[in-house]
Amino acid sequence: MIEASTYDQARKRISALGFTPDIQTKITLLLSTAKSGNLMFHAGVQWLPRLDLIHQAMLTQYSRELEALTLLSRTTQWSLNPALAIRGGQILAPLTLAWGQVMLPPGPLLNPQAAYRGISLGHAQLARIRLAPVIPDQVDPLNPFIVALQRIELENGRLLQTQIRLLKDMPTSVPLADREARVLADQQLVDGVFNDFLHWLASD
Amino acid sequence: MPTIQCGKHQVHYELIGDTGRPVITFLNGLTQNASLWRGYADYFVPRGYAVLAYDLLGQGRSSKPIIELKLALHADMLDQLLDRLAITQTHLVAISFGGVIALDFAIRHGQRLRSLTVMSTFAELTPHLEFFGAVMLLGLTEVGLPYLQHLLYPLNMSSAWIAAHQEQIPDMKRAGFIGNDGYALQNLMESFVAFTPLTPDLPRIRVPTLIMNGEFDFFTPRECHDLIRRQISNSRLLLIQHAYHAFTLEYPAVTMRQLEVFLGQVSDGSWRGDQSVWVAADDPGAPNPWLPCAGDWRRAIQIGTAPAPVADAVPTHS
Repeated sequence: MIEASTYDQARKRISALGFTPDIQTKITLLLSTAKSGNLMFHAGVQWLPRLDLIHQAMLTQYSRELEALTLLSRTTQWSLNPALAIRGGQILAPLTLAWGQVMLPPGPLLNPQAAYRGISLGHAQLARIRLAPVIPDQVDPLNPFIVALQRIELENGRLLQTQIRLLKDMPTSVPLADREARVLADQQLVDGVFNDFLHWLASD
Repeated sequence: MPTIQCGKHQVHYELIGDTGRPVITFLNGLTQNASLWRGYADYFVPRGYAVLAYDLLGQGRSSKPIIELKLALHADMLDQLLDRLAITQTHLVAISFGGVIALDFAIRHGQRLRSLTVMSTFAELTPHLEFFGAVMLLGLTEVGLPYLQHLLYPLNMSSAWIAAHQEQIPDMKRAGFIGNDGYALQNLMESFVAFTPLTPDLPRIRVPTLIMNGEFDFFTPRECHDLIRRQISNSRLLLIQHAYHAFTLEYPAVTMRQLEVFLGQVSDGSWRGDQSVWVAADDPGAPNPWLPCAGDWRRAIQIGTAPAPVADAVPTHS
């Protein structure tokens, strides 16, 4: 669990400085990394021969994640500081690595374990990366970056339903205890990354 | 606050006071956590009790199962937690979602109870409550956690409380958003899909039982509590004046005083569980804390016995 004080520190920093290009760039680095991984995972749905209920939900997720990435890339005021990309890459490396493992050949379409891992990792990201609590009360609600951030935050809760239903209901030969352990491990991974990210957000 | 391993789950709890004293265990509502009972610990520990509160599975810092969470697991988890803390018997006080768990616990683990207090709760999903639950779940899944938080304020609190706390509510909501996970709340709510009504088993509850219901609780209305009262012979129903659903937060002084009276009666043997209905005094310092309830407590209006003159009863329109 992320401590409330960690959110408070990040919000205090943003409250003092505003959504500077550095802060916007940090946030977009995090969300882009998370959403690119999930997008890559769901891109496989295009190769499926038909669109039944769950495939439609996956297509929606693919489309919405693409929309989120577009919104972020078009509304972010990018920082020119190259050190941010380097430090961000270090903090976000566990996520990048995890999605890389999911997408290893033969890929999730042909590897049920990788498919389950991708759903579990997507759940952890959509459930635990929550930026609404770092947005100060006094920000301009019509600022395009804030609008995009809030749209993405709200949409994450809805998209999460796909992962919830799949984790609970999809037929799998993986025993329940193993599945729960997988889900917990991914949640801890995402919590660790997000905790580090919030500390980074609160720092210079 | 310490964490203890119960089976494959972690439970985050707070135990204040020596467990050699009578223990009061508090169970949270759906979006609450253990820290909300600290004021109750401040009140009851100096009065000779120990107070145990904990985050239910799916809440706060306790484990938040994602794949599977059966409703019965909560009562079994409480049984394990009491074992781990070497608490043989406890007074159990529970609100709303926690009240359902408490009733289940009292039915299946009743030997562990000294008394039971259930507040703002239900033993079965009435059609009204089933619709409410569906709306809450739909809001959570289709709109999101902030929607559910918005919905719960007017259900839980009176207009007076909301008006008095307008400025603090955004911070309260933010804290609730950080402390709660939408998927975990969803899991708790979906555990009711397979919920079997507890009503037929309520007569098995033999311990002294206090049922508390807010005067204006339209979330879990009077019919839910009256159903419990009718099924538990060793019970009384106590109505909290002016209160909505979350009166433990809106009227803590009144609630603590009423609990103290009840627990005192249980301890000194003066408790009489006769299924009678009472009204809590507004003033927690009132010498007579329980007032008799006149009229039909299941109704929201009081009807006079003497018929009004025809001329007064028929409205005139000019």
